[in-house]
Amino acid sequence: MAYTRKDVGKLTREERRRFVNALLTIKRRGEYDDFVRTHIRYFTADGENGLRPAHMAPSFLPWHRKFLLELERALRRVDSSVTVPYWDWTSDRTARSAPWSEDLLGGTGRRSDQQVTTGPFAYAHGNWTLKEGVTDGAFLTRDLGRSHDPIQLPTKSELEWALTDPVYDVAPWDSTVTKGFRNKLEGWGTGRGSASWLNHNRVHRWIGGVMLGAASVNDPVFWLHHAFIDLQWTRWQRRHRGARYLPATPPGPGNAQHGRILARHQKLPPWDVTPDELEDMSRIYRYA
Amino acid sequence: MVGGTGGARVETGTGTSPARTATTRTSTTATSTGTTAGSTRRQVTRRLLASAAVAVMAPLVGASRPARPVAGTWDGPGDTAFEEIYRGRLIRVTWTHRSGGAGPGEWHVTVDDRPLHLMRRADGTWLSVVDHYQSYRTPLEAARGAVDELGPGQRLRDLAPGPVGDELRRLHMGGAHSGVHA
Repeated sequence: MAYTRKDVGKLTREERRRFVNALLTIKRRGEYDDFVRTHIRYFTADGENGLRPAHMAPSFLPWHRKFLLELERALRRVDSSVTVPYWDWTSDRTARSAPWSEDLLGGTGRRSDQQVTTGPFAYAHGNWTLKEGVTDGAFLTRDLGRSHDPIQLPTKSELEWALTDPVYDVAPWDSTVTKGFRNKLEGWGTGRGSASWLNHNRVHRWIGGVMLGAASVNDPVFWLHHAFIDLQWTRWQRRHRGARYLPATPPGPGNAQHGRILARHQKLPPWDVTPDELEDMSRIYRYA
Repeated sequence: MVGGTGGARVETGTGTSPARTATTRTSTTATSTGTTAGSTRRQVTRRLLASAAVAVMAPLVGASRPARPVAGTWDGPGDTAFEEIYRGRLIRVTWTHRSGGAGPGEWHVTVDDRPLHLMRRADGTWLSVVDHYQSYRTPLEAARGAVDELGPGQRLRDLAPGPVGDELRRLHMGGAHSGVHA
């Protein structure tokens, strides 16, 4: 029986309480920090020679899908009623929107040091001390909307621009491609500054603080954001019937991307699962 | 495009170095390992100095606070370095040649003497571990971008890539991990 991932704005008070409690429980047990470490470890950029399992590559979507499933499994071991909600940032667009309530994620950081001081993940409560991070800061940080130089969240039309592309991804399968659903959604644009941050990437920037860096998983909004990204993959599949993950086969030895990206039937490290096996989630979960 | 492909990177990396170059200090160490390497280092130094002149004429964005020259002598590892104070933080950028002809070399960047991990994008721009969702034209700009996002009193933690490169290489097909990490 598939479970349901819900819009964060439609959770009941009890559902919010249970979700937060499950997060705090796995944090207390040390499990949560494993997720932070995994995300740091598997971020390889495309100007380097290593395999790119998680970013700037076709497997951006299946890698994060599996990552979400693992987190959700950990939460459901604590409380089997919990699923990861999604945050529709095309609708909930302000620093006072659904995810940022006092009983869910808390709000933006304070002006002086971006420290989040509201909600269950505020440092002062003692339940959310950062262990794995880019800096030695022990508290969660945010700067919703980027106060010193404000930017807007991606719009419905920007998301639509990604969803209408009928091809999953195109060569050279990296952050420079200007066609293909994957990078239009992941959001590596051309040019500099604000105009170059699209969809997924722009949301990380709008939130700011730890969400900007390698340890972005330290902010639990990471999961709500990626659940919405994950939902877009499902929507794209529905819209383009028969369209599949690409590439279907690995680039050959003479190709510059040989050994650096994952094709449809190659396993996604650190897991024993392929993009092909992650394309249809309908027996595990669905989105409401 | 693959990382670590050459001295051309030096020009790419510094030819666009911003206005703060006027207040940075360039130096070379005296640890010559041979005529060829020494010659290369001198070329690098010249490029740095030349690009400094260009930068003075064409100030770039990215730095909003005045920087000032750093006193003292650079005695860290590496062949060529420049450093500056940016928003109260000491940024030091070093180009280190590899010994034994195993590739051209790599950048090392520190902020307040803590290593700042950099990654290269396929379009030649740079990402830092502090800011993974935006890339910059040069290592120095990436370092400034990182400083912009560091909260007051926060220091970088050393997030060396550790076993990751090896782990991924073992899991999936060979190829040396690039040396562009700082």
